[in-house]
Amino acid sequence: MTRSRMVGAVLALALAAAGCGAGDSVDVDGAGDTGGKGAGGTLNAAIGGEPDQLDPHRTSAYYSFQVLENVYDTLVEPGPDLRMGPSLATKWTTSADQLTWTFTLREGVRFSDGSPLTSEDVVYSYERIISEKLNQSYRFETVKSVTAPDPTTVVVALTKPTPNLLASLGGFKGVAIVEKSNVESGAIKTRPVGSGPFAVAGYTSGDSIQLTRNDNYWGPKPTLDGVRFTFVKDPTVALQNLRGGEVQWTDNLPPQQVAALKENGGDVTVESRSSTDYWYLALNEGRKPYDDVNVRRAIAFALDREAIAKAAKFGQATVNQTAIPKGSSWHFEYAPYRHDPAQARQLLGQAGVSGLTLDLMVTTEYPETVSAAQVIAAQLKDVGITVKIRTLDFAQWLDEQGRGAFDAFLLGWLGNIDPDEFYYAQHRTGATFNFHKYSNPAVDRLLDAGRTETDPAARKRTYDQAAKQIVDDASYIYLYNPDVVQGWSKQVTGYQVRSDRAIRFRDVALDR
Amino acid sequence: MTRFVLRRLLQSVVVLFGVTLVVFLLLQLVPGDPVRVALGTRFDQQTYDALRERSGLDRPLVAQYLSYVGHALTGDLGVSFRSGQPVTTIVLERLPATLSLAVTAVLLALLVAFPLGVLSAVRSGSALDHAARVFSQFGVSVPDFWMGIMGILLFAGVLGWLPPSGYVALTEDPARWASHVVLPATAVGLVTASILTRFIRSSVLEVLAEDYVRTAEAKGLRARIVVVRHVLRNALIPVVTVVAVQLASLVGGVIVIEVLFAWPGVGRLTYDAVQARDYPVLQGAVLFVAALFLLMNLLVDVLYARLDPRIGLR
Repeated sequence: MTRSRMVGAVLALALAAAGCGAGDSVDVDGAGDTGGKGAGGTLNAAIGGEPDQLDPHRTSAYYSFQVLENVYDTLVEPGPDLRMGPSLATKWTTSADQLTWTFTLREGVRFSDGSPLTSEDVVYSYERIISEKLNQSYRFETVKSVTAPDPTTVVVALTKPTPNLLASLGGFKGVAIVEKSNVESGAIKTRPVGSGPFAVAGYTSGDSIQLTRNDNYWGPKPTLDGVRFTFVKDPTVALQNLRGGEVQWTDNLPPQQVAALKENGGDVTVESRSSTDYWYLALNEGRKPYDDVNVRRAIAFALDREAIAKAAKFGQATVNQTAIPKGSSWHFEYAPYRHDPAQARQLLGQAGVSGLTLDLMVTTEYPETVSAAQVIAAQLKDVGITVKIRTLDFAQWLDEQGRGAFDAFLLGWLGNIDPDEFYYAQHRTGATFNFHKYSNPAVDRLLDAGRTETDPAARKRTYDQAAKQIVDDASYIYLYNPDVVQGWSKQVTGYQVRSDRAIRFRDVALDR
Repeated sequence: MTRFVLRRLLQSVVVLFGVTLVVFLLLQLVPGDPVRVALGTRFDQQTYDALRERSGLDRPLVAQYLSYVGHALTGDLGVSFRSGQPVTTIVLERLPATLSLAVTAVLLALLVAFPLGVLSAVRSGSALDHAARVFSQFGVSVPDFWMGIMGILLFAGVLGWLPPSGYVALTEDPARWASHVVLPATAVGLVTASILTRFIRSSVLEVLAEDYVRTAEAKGLRARIVVVRHVLRNALIPVVTVVAVQLASLVGGVIVIEVLFAWPGVGRLTYDAVQARDYPVLQGAVLFVAALFLLMNLLVDVLYARLDPRIGLR
């Protein structure tokens, strides 16, 4: 069934509501200002590590995207509720057959170096990702061509209907619009040029990245003069920096202190929000006895998720038995597994399994997997399963995962928006990240259908069915959605914690 | 003398060549695929293959090694897998921070170890001697990162005198550099100070037992003059060696402290490169540190020969 839907009309309303008029902001510069709100200043932010590089199409590190979020724009971008809204594109229409999307670009947008950003730059950026097979090229699987009939129009032609195209083109800054000359000179690695609210002004390797306000920005001008990101690996040290006033913002807080800081942080505000990340236990179905659904279900019944979340995240998480958290419009309420060791033992008996030893692989890259593993080992001991925990560094962990050399592993998937991102690559037979060798033809059919179903209600039903089957089969045993936890000093105003972990400083002011 | 130095330099080149080979082979044994680490959690097979090819990791090992050595001979250590920046540039950018930390740590260590070592040797068996021995036992037993964290909690947290972490270049603002360097340098310098205290003590004791010291005393020279003029001059010769070796090892080895204090030096670079399996950077950093070690050793030998006429350079 195809129903032409004029998304543009809806968007026009959204735009009117958002009062999107570029360049109508009053520029409050520091001249003659005696301090107080909007007096500019530089915000110091401590992040947990250093970006590997600043080319948005080539990096995969969250540290890079924390910086690049403030430097680059995408065609569309997720709002606070993660619905895709306008950014460089102000409106878009879809053809009746759903195979052609036409985007209208904002007029007069400039890169931070002053050169104009046109539809040619959008075409260049997408073609770079596709032709060089860069990290995000999988998002363009159904894209046949990207063309620029005029400077403010971009046409994306598809091989089949792609209802999640907006999430693919704007979910995060990995699909940002870059400047050709900046790419060709190689400067993009350390001095990227974007059209976002701030521009990279300096980069001291190993120490910090300095951003300054982009005066060519098309949106409301940021009040901050700049943002300085420093790289502090140790959360205790990062918190000391925040308390001592060396930094005014950090997301690297010691988890065991978060609850106390929220209660009584003194000069520090700590806020958290449920994230769209999920953490899970995967059992290797390519190995006996984990190919038996009863064994997997037994393990799902043996786990006490509350205790696991408490140990791993000190309560900074919400337990969940499916992937998509409450609060997302794609959430499906389904929790068939209560903590029931008797039921677990009975299922193991049914499967004829006794005296099982399970090899569980975790990584120091994500310390929460190490703590969760200890608790899981204790809980599984209750039902007669001996857990051998293997703690590896991440590079080695990835190797073992790729080779299928594990009985079970713990990990999370981060920054998901569309349900396809939550389920397809992990549970479709033979998909890229289906390392645990799950295969169910019914689920395959549902996941394939969800990719092309354009009616939102029907699409929701499809993913609900897929989610239910995946949980019943215990393909992944879902554990919890962690909170995004960030802290900032009382001087910072206008900052909002976002569930997709995007760090946006464009609306932030600093009282000095 | 010149011939000696030239021969040693030539030997150094051979050693460095060996270092590249050993590091290269070790990296092959270390599990972990740099391409996987670089790509993070979402990509497809095509992307993986493309990046592998771009990094040159799809070529046979022998070809990879030969091209690396070939380029290295021209001073080109390749580019980082992660950032695409030239390795030489990356390492050189990080050297000043590490050098300033290592030199400060060694100077602080000497400031403590020299008087303590000499006094406890001259007054061997006294209460001060015992205290010095307890101090150096404590210093070598306590891990430097623990000292670092305690320092941060006390001086940055409770007292608020010093910044908890971060770096300001010495050339940019000496005062702010000093306030940032104190804590990490103290944490590192404590171990060095303990080692040096013991070494200076035993070295001075050894010289005190020499015949010429007894001669000097028999001539009726005052004890202080004996110690200063005869004992120290000779006792410090071996100490120079230890200081130089300590300095060299700090330049290559302050990894944990640099990570803890967010100090942008070679140690932290090495740590990050290991985590990311960034082979070119890791090889480059090891090569730099090894070269520095060899250079330091050469300098020490030359200095030694100058200080102690009994030693000839052959």
